[in-house]
Amino acid sequence: MKRKINASRVRSHALFAGLALAIALVGASTAFTALAVPSKELFADITQEAGITWRQFSGESPDRFLIETMGGGVAFLDVDNDGLLDIFFVNGGETPGGKSPGPIKNALYRNLGNGKFEDVASKAGVDHIDFYGIGVAVGDFDNDGFPDLYVTGFPTSALFHNNGNGTFTDVTAHAGVKNSGRWAAGAAWFDYDRDGLLDLVVTNYAEFSFDQPKKCEVNGVRSYCAQVAYKGMPLTLYHNNGDRTFTDVSARSGLDKMIGRGLGVVAIDFNDDGWPDLFVARDASPNLLLINKRDGTFEDAALDAEIAYNANGNAKAGMGVDVADVNGDGLPDLVVTNFNDQYHSLFMGSASFPYQDRTVASHLAQFSKADVGWGTKFLDYDNDGNPDLIIANGHINQSIELMREDVKYQEPLLLLHNEGQGVFRNSAQEGGPAFNSGYISRGLAVGDVDNDGDPDVVITRLNGTSMLLRNKVGQDSNWVGFELQGTKSNRDAIGAKITVTAGARRLVRWILGGSSYISSSDKRVLVGLGHSQVKAVDVDVLWPSGTRQELSNLQVNRYFKIVEGTQ
Amino acid sequence: MYRTRCTDGATTKCRAHDRGVTHLLFSIVLSTLILSGTAFCSAQFDEARVHADRGLQLAQSGDLQGAENELRQAIKLEPRNPEFLSTLGTLLAMDKKLDESSTLFRKALQLAPQDSTSRRYLAANLWQLHRYPEAKQELQTLLRQHPNDAAARLLLGMVSENSGDYSTAAKMLSSVPDEVSKQPESVAALARSYYQLHERERARTTLSVLSEQAAEQGVLLGAQIADQAEDFETAQKLLESVSPSGTHFAIVQYRLALVEYHAKRFAESQSRLQRLIDSGHETSQAYNLMGWTYQQQANLKAAAESFERAIALAPADESNYLDLGRILFAHGSLRIALDVAKRAAIQFPNSVAVFDFKGRTESRMLQFTDAIRSYKRATQLDPSNAEVTLGLARAQASAGLNADAASTLDTALNRFPKDARFQVEYALMLIKQAETGDAVARTRAEKMLRSALAIAPINQQALYELGNLELNDGRVTEASRHLEQVVKLAPLSSQAHFALARAYRRLKRVEDAQKEMDLYNRSKETDSRDGAASHNDEAKN
Repeated sequence: MKRKINASRVRSHALFAGLALAIALVGASTAFTALAVPSKELFADITQEAGITWRQFSGESPDRFLIETMGGGVAFLDVDNDGLLDIFFVNGGETPGGKSPGPIKNALYRNLGNGKFEDVASKAGVDHIDFYGIGVAVGDFDNDGFPDLYVTGFPTSALFHNNGNGTFTDVTAHAGVKNSGRWAAGAAWFDYDRDGLLDLVVTNYAEFSFDQPKKCEVNGVRSYCAQVAYKGMPLTLYHNNGDRTFTDVSARSGLDKMIGRGLGVVAIDFNDDGWPDLFVARDASPNLLLINKRDGTFEDAALDAEIAYNANGNAKAGMGVDVADVNGDGLPDLVVTNFNDQYHSLFMGSASFPYQDRTVASHLAQFSKADVGWGTKFLDYDNDGNPDLIIANGHINQSIELMREDVKYQEPLLLLHNEGQGVFRNSAQEGGPAFNSGYISRGLAVGDVDNDGDPDVVITRLNGTSMLLRNKVGQDSNWVGFELQGTKSNRDAIGAKITVTAGARRLVRWILGGSSYISSSDKRVLVGLGHSQVKAVDVDVLWPSGTRQELSNLQVNRYFKIVEGTQ
Repeated sequence: MYRTRCTDGATTKCRAHDRGVTHLLFSIVLSTLILSGTAFCSAQFDEARVHADRGLQLAQSGDLQGAENELRQAIKLEPRNPEFLSTLGTLLAMDKKLDESSTLFRKALQLAPQDSTSRRYLAANLWQLHRYPEAKQELQTLLRQHPNDAAARLLLGMVSENSGDYSTAAKMLSSVPDEVSKQPESVAALARSYYQLHERERARTTLSVLSEQAAEQGVLLGAQIADQAEDFETAQKLLESVSPSGTHFAIVQYRLALVEYHAKRFAESQSRLQRLIDSGHETSQAYNLMGWTYQQQANLKAAAESFERAIALAPADESNYLDLGRILFAHGSLRIALDVAKRAAIQFPNSVAVFDFKGRTESRMLQFTDAIRSYKRATQLDPSNAEVTLGLARAQASAGLNADAASTLDTALNRFPKDARFQVEYALMLIKQAETGDAVARTRAEKMLRSALAIAPINQQALYELGNLELNDGRVTEASRHLEQVVKLAPLSSQAHFALARAYRRLKRVEDAQKEMDLYNRSKETDSRDGAASHNDEAKN
C-alpha cells in the first residue's frame, strides 16, 4: 500500500508538471512520501509531523460571552504561488475576564513541501490583529495573482493585501472594509456585478458588547445564553472599485435589510442565469437565498425554495454551509450545519422551487441528531465522483452532559460517504483515529495540501490545537484537477462552473465564494473519476464573465491550469 | 292496604317538612312519632314499630348511630314499609351517607310514589351528590304533583343554576321570592342566573336585597357574585355598604382590592392593599394580591418582593411559592423561577403542584435530567395525574431517553385511554425516531396519530402532525385537508399556515400558497413579539 501511494504521488507530480494544449503548468514539488501511515484509514492526522502547533485562544471567561464559542477560522491558500497550499489560522482574542498569558497570534503556516510547515505569520505581517478574530476569506481582490486575506472579527475586520513577496499589508482603512462596530463572522469573495473584480459580502452575527454580558445559568453555573438573546445584524456588501478601494453598497443592494444572525455564506449561481447568488446560513434566523437581480440588488427566495425554515416554520441554528452536486443531476445542492436535535440539513437543488429537503432521506438526520455542526465541506475523499461530506462538530455549553444523556460537549467529526444519489453512509469508523474522538471543532477547510489529487482537511478546535488530516485513499482512484485563472473574469474564477465529461459520466463542479464556516478552502477543483478505464476527459468551463471554454482529451490524474480565453 | 296506610303517613310528614329545609329532618322524626300510634295488623309489624320508635327516640337524643341500628332492625322485619325506608333514608342523609340514603328513598318511592317528602329529600340528596339531571327529574315529578311546592321550586332553581340551566333557575327562584330571600345562597343563585342571562339590572335588584337584609357574610357573597359577573360597580357598592367599623373591615378592603384588580384598576388595588397593610392588617393573602397588581403593572421586582413577603407570612401556603414562580416563569426569569421551585420543593416535599412546576421550569430551561427527577416525584405522589405524566414523558424524550419515554407513555396509554395527548406525544417521539431512519416508527407514528384523532377528532396537534407526515410522503391532497382543519381551529398558528403553504405550493395553488405565507409571516411576527421576553434567561443548550 505504501509503495502504491508513493507511486501514485510520483505519477501525479510528473503529470502535474506537464503542459497540455494552452493549459499552463501548475508546478508542485511536494515530497510527502515521508508521511506514510498505516493502511486502511481514510485520513491520517499529520498535524504533529507537519509541525503545526498553533492553538486557538477564545478568551473563555466567567462572563460567558457568546463570542468565545464562535471563533477558529482557517484557510488554505498558496501565499507565494509556489504550488503548495499554505494554511492561515485566525486566533480569537482576550475578553474582559479571559486574559492570555502570552500574545494572541494568528498563524500562517508555509508549506515547505517536505511534509513540514513553518509559521511565517510574523514575517508576513499577519500574526497580529487589533480585534477579536473570527474567520477568514481568501480572494485575489486586485487580480495581481496573489491571494489576499479578509479577516473577520469584532468590533472590526481587516483586509491584508498580499504583496507577492511573502508579506502582507493591512489595507483595511484605505480599502474601506473595516466593518466597524460589527461582529463579523463569515465572508465570501464573489463578483456580483460581473465586472471582473471580486466584491465582498460579510455576514454579521449579532449586536454585541463586552460591556454588557448576558447572564444565563444552568444548575447555578454561568452558561452561554441562547443566540436569540442577541439581536441579529444586517449583511454588509462591499463593491470593489477596481482601485484597491471598496464602496459599502449594503443599502443599495438591499442587503442591509437582511437582519439576522448570519454565519456561513456561499456564493454560487443557484438559478443558472449566469449571475452569482448567495446563500447565508443564519443562527435561529431564517436562512437566506439571495438571488442576484442583475442590477446590483438581491431578492430573498429562501421561503419559496423552502430552505429558510424547517418543516414547522422555525429557523434552525444555521452555522456552516457548502454546495456541490450531490446527486449528479448537475444542479447545486446545499448542506447546512445546525444545532443538536435540528439535524444538519441537506437540500437538493432543482430547476424550480421548492428545493427538496433530503435531510432524512439522505440519512444525514440519522447521523447528526446529537451534533452541533460548524464547518462543513463536500469532498470526494475517495475520488469516486460522488461528493462525500465532512462536518466539524462541537457543543457550546460545557455543562450539556449534565442536562442530556445523548448529547456530548466534545463531539466527533462526521465523515459521510456518498453512496450515490445523495444517500450517505457513516464512514467515520474507517476515517482513522482522528474520527474516533470528540472535539470542540469549529473551522474547517479542504485542500490538496500534498498535491496528490485528493482532498485533505484542516480543522480548528476551540481553545485547542488544530488538526491537519491527510487523505490516504483518494489517489487510489482516478482524478483530474483544475486551477482556473480568469482574465476577463475575476482572476480567482470564483463563480466558474466546470463540467467534466468522463466517458458516460458528466460531473459538474463550481468554484465557490465562501462556504464552510468562517473558513476558506483550496480554490482548485478536484474531480474524482473512480476506477473507470477513462484515460482522458473533456471539460467545459463556463467563466463568470459568461465566456464558455471547451477543452478536450485532458489526461487524467493530473492538475491543469486553465486560463480564461486561452486555447 | 298496608301500602295505603303508609302513603297516608308520608303525606302527613310532607306537610310538616314544608316549614323549612333545616327543620325538615327533625320534622320527619316527629311526624313518624305521631304515626307510631297508628294501628297495624301484625305482630311482626308491631315489633318493627317498636324498633322504629326506639330509633326515633335515639335520633331525637342525638344518637344517630343507635337510631340507624334500630331502624335497620325495623326494615329487616318490614322491608316493604315505605315509612321505615324513608325515615332511615332521612337519618342517613343527616349522617351524610347520601348514596345509601338515596337508595332507600327510591325504594320508599317505589312503594309510595306520592310521597312528596321522600321525593324532595331524594332530590336534595342528588343535588348534594352533583347528580343534577336525576335531581331535576325528581323535582319535576314532584312539581307535576304539587305545582306550588315552594321548597321544590327553590330546590329546582338551585339545581338548575348549578347545572347551568339559568333560564329555569331564574324562573323557579323568582317564583318563590320569600323562600329565596331567607338564604343568601339562594339570592346569590338567582342573581348569578340573571347575570348569565344578561339581565344585569334584575341581578342588581336581586343583590340589593342582600345589602338591605343580609348579614355582612351575605353581602360579601353578593359582592363576589357581582365581581365574578364582572359587574364591578355593583360589587363595589355592596362592599362599600358594609360598615367600615364592622368585624369584616379587613376582608371587605381585601375584596374591594380584588374587585379593583379584576376591573384592571391595578394601581388602585395596589394602593388599597398597601393602606390595608399599613393599617396593621398584614396578611399573606393581601401580599399575594399585591404581587399580582405589581405583576400587571410590569413591576416584576416589586411583585417578587410582595410574593416573598406572602411566603414569609404563610410559609405553609404553597400557592404563594407557585404564584411567584409562575410570574417569574412568564417573564422569562427562569433561573429565579427555578430557585423558587427548589425552595418550594424543600418546603412541600409531597406537593404534586410544586414538583410539576419545578419539572416544567427545568424542561423550559432544557435541564431535562433534572426535570425527569421532578416529574418522577410528582407522578409518584399522584399516579393519576395526567399532566405530570405527560411532563415526564416529554422530558424523557427530550433527554434522549426514548426507551424510558416509551415506557412512560405505554403505561399512560393504559391509564389514560381517553386522553389523546398521550397518543400525540408518543407519535411525536416516533416521528423523531423515524427521522433517524426507523421506518417502523414512521408507520407507528401515523397509526398513533389516527388513534388520537379517533378519541379527539379536532386535536390540533394530531391533525398538524398527520398533515405534515402526509406532506412529507407526497400525499399532498390528504395533507392539505388535515392542515386546512388545523388553520380553521388555530388561525394564529404560524406553523400550520407554513405547512399549508407548502402543501398548496405542491398542488400548484400559487395564490393560496402566497396567502398562507402572508398569514404565516403575520403570525410569526406575533410569535416573535410574544416570545422575545421569554428568551432572556435561556442558556444555549
